[in-house]
Amino acid sequence: MTCEELRGCYELHALGVLNEPERSEVEEHLRRSCAACTEELRHARETNAMMFASVPDVAPPARLRRRIMASIGAEPSRGWLSWIPWAGLAGAAACTVLIYNNLQETREDQQRAVAQVAETDARLARMQDAVRMMTEPETRQVTFGNGPQGRVLVNAKRGVLLLATNLPAAPAGKTYELWIIPKGGAPRPAGLFQSDQNGNAMHMVAGPVDVASTGAVAVSLEPEAGSQAPTTTPIIVAPVAE
Amino acid sequence: MLLALLFAALAEDDRELAERLKRRDQNAMGDLYNRYGRLAYSLIYRIVKDNGIAEDLAQETFLRVWNRAAAFDSSKGALGAWVMTVARNRAIDYVRSVQGRMRDTVYELDASDNPVLFTTIDSDILNSERARRLKQAFLSLNENQRLVIELAYYEGLSQTEMAERIKQPLGTVKTWCRTALLKLREELGQAVAV
Repeated sequence: MTCEELRGCYELHALGVLNEPERSEVEEHLRRSCAACTEELRHARETNAMMFASVPDVAPPARLRRRIMASIGAEPSRGWLSWIPWAGLAGAAACTVLIYNNLQETREDQQRAVAQVAETDARLARMQDAVRMMTEPETRQVTFGNGPQGRVLVNAKRGVLLLATNLPAAPAGKTYELWIIPKGGAPRPAGLFQSDQNGNAMHMVAGPVDVASTGAVAVSLEPEAGSQAPTTTPIIVAPVAE
Repeated sequence: MLLALLFAALAEDDRELAERLKRRDQNAMGDLYNRYGRLAYSLIYRIVKDNGIAEDLAQETFLRVWNRAAAFDSSKGALGAWVMTVARNRAIDYVRSVQGRMRDTVYELDASDNPVLFTTIDSDILNSERARRLKQAFLSLNENQRLVIELAYYEGLSQTEMAERIKQPLGTVKTWCRTALLKLREELGQAVAV
């Protein structure tokens, strides 16, 4: 097969899902150091990485970080102390626990600080996006009230932005999920978010949106990992349709 | 998608981070997790749809990156693209194994996340402008084209498996895949003349 005939195969090859005979054909081209195919595969890996990064956002549990660090020996599990079988070593073990816990806390403080910086950067970027949206004349704005209050901004180029106040903290194991509801269609999941300690929340769904076909934007309380369709009655419903 | 916007700011620091990972600096692992942990977890969860399994696979992903970082070319490589590919492959491997569909029509993913393959990728690949264009391109696909793309990326199905799953002729599935992928490329400005 020619390189032209193999176009459209490279992404699938990089994903490990290309069937025969195309798979062998691509590999034969690569064995011959075919410059065109090498370049095509490079682009394919780029496209694939972008597709991977385009999935809905889901928050991992906080313990995942600790697990990963422990797996490389950076943060040994506290559980090993319980394996010390000699009662006579109890005092020494207690001291070890104290020292260990102090070290552990120092490390965790550092990690929290790093995480806070990343979070602040992310919040700043979201704020900048929000300000840009609010100042653009083509942005459609609707307000909502009764309990949580605020507004929804919809911009064909930038996306959907929710600004809410008086939104109580989600109970443990729960999160807020935004829904974009097309006119006459089923709600589409549009990301998870939490309110802060003051009951404020800002959630941005970046990317082009078809304003004309959007009927409403809603928010419901959902399990931590989010849902594909609302499982509770929405606590915010903002009709967007004119 | 919003998280992808962060990549623009993060990409420039990836080289230094990759260097530290190669030196087995354990703090670098924490930084790697801060940068890509949530995104990798989101991708794995999208594929396996189970929190506990996603957690296990995310841990495997980062451990694999840690163990293979020495082969990564930090001067040219795209760390984020590599981490995301490892995450996707761990998740697809898992799904394939539980579904018992190993290896007749699909092949080992180990080779496809070899860090050496990511040395020529633009390190700024996951930036906000490209994310926006990708989303736009994806939305421009018709329903059938979107379906086959999702089956390939997030379920790891080969075209033969897709044809069986959606009960369409193999030739039709191949046409949908090809048209969709070429369209994505075109929107991303990656059309390559061959």
